[in-house]
Amino acid sequence: MRTALLSLGLLGALLVTVGAALSFGSAAVSFADAYHVVAYRVADGFGASSPLDVPDPIAERVVWHLRLPRVLLALLVGGGLSVIGVAMQALVRNPLAEPYILGISSGASAGASLFYLGFLPPLLGQALSMPLAAFLGGLLSITIVYLVAYTGSRLSVARLLLAGVAMSALMASVTSFITFSSPDPGKLRAVLFWLLGSLSGTQWTDLVWPFVTTASGSVLLFVLARPLDAMLIGEESAYHLGIPVEALKRLLIGLAALVTGALVAVAGAIGFVGLIIPHAVRLLIGVSHRRVVPVAFIGGALFLAWADLAARTLLPEQELPVGILTALCGVPFFLALLRRGSYGFGAP
Amino acid sequence: MRVFFRFRVFNPLAHVWVLLSFLLVCAGCTDPEPSTSPLTDALDRSVVVPDTVTRVVPLAPNLTELTVAAGGGDRLAAVTVSDDFPPAIVDPLPRVQTLPVDYEAIVGHDPDLVLATDQVNTPDDAAPLQQMDVPVYFFSFNAVTDIFEGIRTLGTLLGTSSQAEAAADRLTSALDTLRARTASRDAPRVLVLVGDETLYAFGGPSYVNTLVEAAGGRSVTDHFETAAPTLSEEFVLDAAPDVIIGLFGDDYDTRQLARLHPTWDVVPAIQTGRVYSISPDLVSRPGPRVVQGAYRIAALLHPDLDLPAPPALIE
Repeated sequence: MRTALLSLGLLGALLVTVGAALSFGSAAVSFADAYHVVAYRVADGFGASSPLDVPDPIAERVVWHLRLPRVLLALLVGGGLSVIGVAMQALVRNPLAEPYILGISSGASAGASLFYLGFLPPLLGQALSMPLAAFLGGLLSITIVYLVAYTGSRLSVARLLLAGVAMSALMASVTSFITFSSPDPGKLRAVLFWLLGSLSGTQWTDLVWPFVTTASGSVLLFVLARPLDAMLIGEESAYHLGIPVEALKRLLIGLAALVTGALVAVAGAIGFVGLIIPHAVRLLIGVSHRRVVPVAFIGGALFLAWADLAARTLLPEQELPVGILTALCGVPFFLALLRRGSYGFGAP
Repeated sequence: MRVFFRFRVFNPLAHVWVLLSFLLVCAGCTDPEPSTSPLTDALDRSVVVPDTVTRVVPLAPNLTELTVAAGGGDRLAAVTVSDDFPPAIVDPLPRVQTLPVDYEAIVGHDPDLVLATDQVNTPDDAAPLQQMDVPVYFFSFNAVTDIFEGIRTLGTLLGTSSQAEAAADRLTSALDTLRARTASRDAPRVLVLVGDETLYAFGGPSYVNTLVEAAGGRSVTDHFETAAPTLSEEFVLDAAPDVIIGLFGDDYDTRQLARLHPTWDVVPAIQTGRVYSISPDLVSRPGPRVVQGAYRIAALLHPDLDLPAPPALIE
């Protein structure tokens, strides 16, 4: 009953969010015009010769080609980063793990900017695409962090966080260096984009890779809910429950790098979504992954959609990088979480 | 082994020599300059500039152009790595890096005066040079008149006042002429862009809006409170400019802008093909060539207007 209510509430929140994101922005488009455009395009999409009037061309472009792909990308990126946060936290059994903090995002940024600015050797450059380059950068970064943090039989959380911070800094300087030394005059844009994260200028075609990776990643994590639950108790217990622990860990790392890479390639490094949302979700509904994964996805999606709406409306007619806002909300939260000391997902 | 030993024996003596020569050099540099006069620069800093300045290092390309316009081209001791104009003067000169400031290289050129602008460097950047008794004079260019005034100031600093006054007067009257010629025309709505993908533009405090207005246009971004706003795509759809002028260089393919922003197909400038790209140096570099920039914009806004050639102060 409670789950049904929660699902209904989240669905309602999702609709309200998309509605708000379509209605507000720098161009003055009235609510009525915004929904006229959506209704017209949806009817048109179903091949129905629409009974509606052809909408105002400017309103149509603003709502259907600028705001809608952008809010959909915000939902995908927020949801994807949030469930990857859940996966990382199960992997290291600590709520402080997150793609941004563990250096995956900055590794992906470095990979993407290396590709974008043409600094890869020609043979490698032709074989890769930007999401693939971002994936490889993120994978490299998290592998190094994981190997540094893994001592003998267990993972040291202090080492994990320190290694994550160090790799983030290293990868951010790689990004800064290649953008600084690039002959491209747009380098300032590139460095800001990949260090701060932004959803500005999203087009429909940008949605393909984020959708494919985020949707399949979330479904996979949902299917793996029981093994993930077992991981929270401890690797040894999970092993005795018949779970192939090593294979699962490798799968989670690969998945985190893949989804983060695809998201960073289109949205830059947006931090702290994967930290705040899973934590809040666990406080609300407990630690069972069968519920945490879907609710964290929707929660992250909502959070980033609102953050992006703020990013494009705080300064009238101008754009702010959305990563600034997620960091403004996320860092105090992170510090509070550190201050509270270890919390073991309900089990000491 | 023997060589190594000898080195160690001689080492203390070498130290003494280095120390002695260092003291001598320092004694030399604390000697007051022959004659000096304290001045106040654009940032209200007090700068002591020697009466005769023969070696100048500008820390930004626009300061080089202004120095040349003020008649001080022969005083340039070095220019920045970004300098490219006028080629006949800057190409043979040694280069220094200014972002971050390469202090050693600058001091190595033994300047009497270093010129800086708050658009590139901060007064903190100047402190190490001041410590080494190299005066740093700051300029600040917010309005077009600041640029002309800068030429006059440089004339005073370099002792080339008559040349500098003449240059500033010619530029002022050339801009006035342009204003008079375009005054009777209908002013199209103009959007000037610095970036084609991320939409950096010029807000109200920027002198670029003055250039557009002198060229007989109306800037759609002059109501922004910041000098360099990042526009949203929706804003451009809403503002519906008649003309878009990108500072992307003369070789830019202007169809690229429509490719990057497919929703702009309803913007008048895109529909009528009035999208142009010009050299950023004529507009975004606050130097003597902004007047040429204004004439170039006027020729794009009012192609039927028969304009005289703008004054070329630097050949």
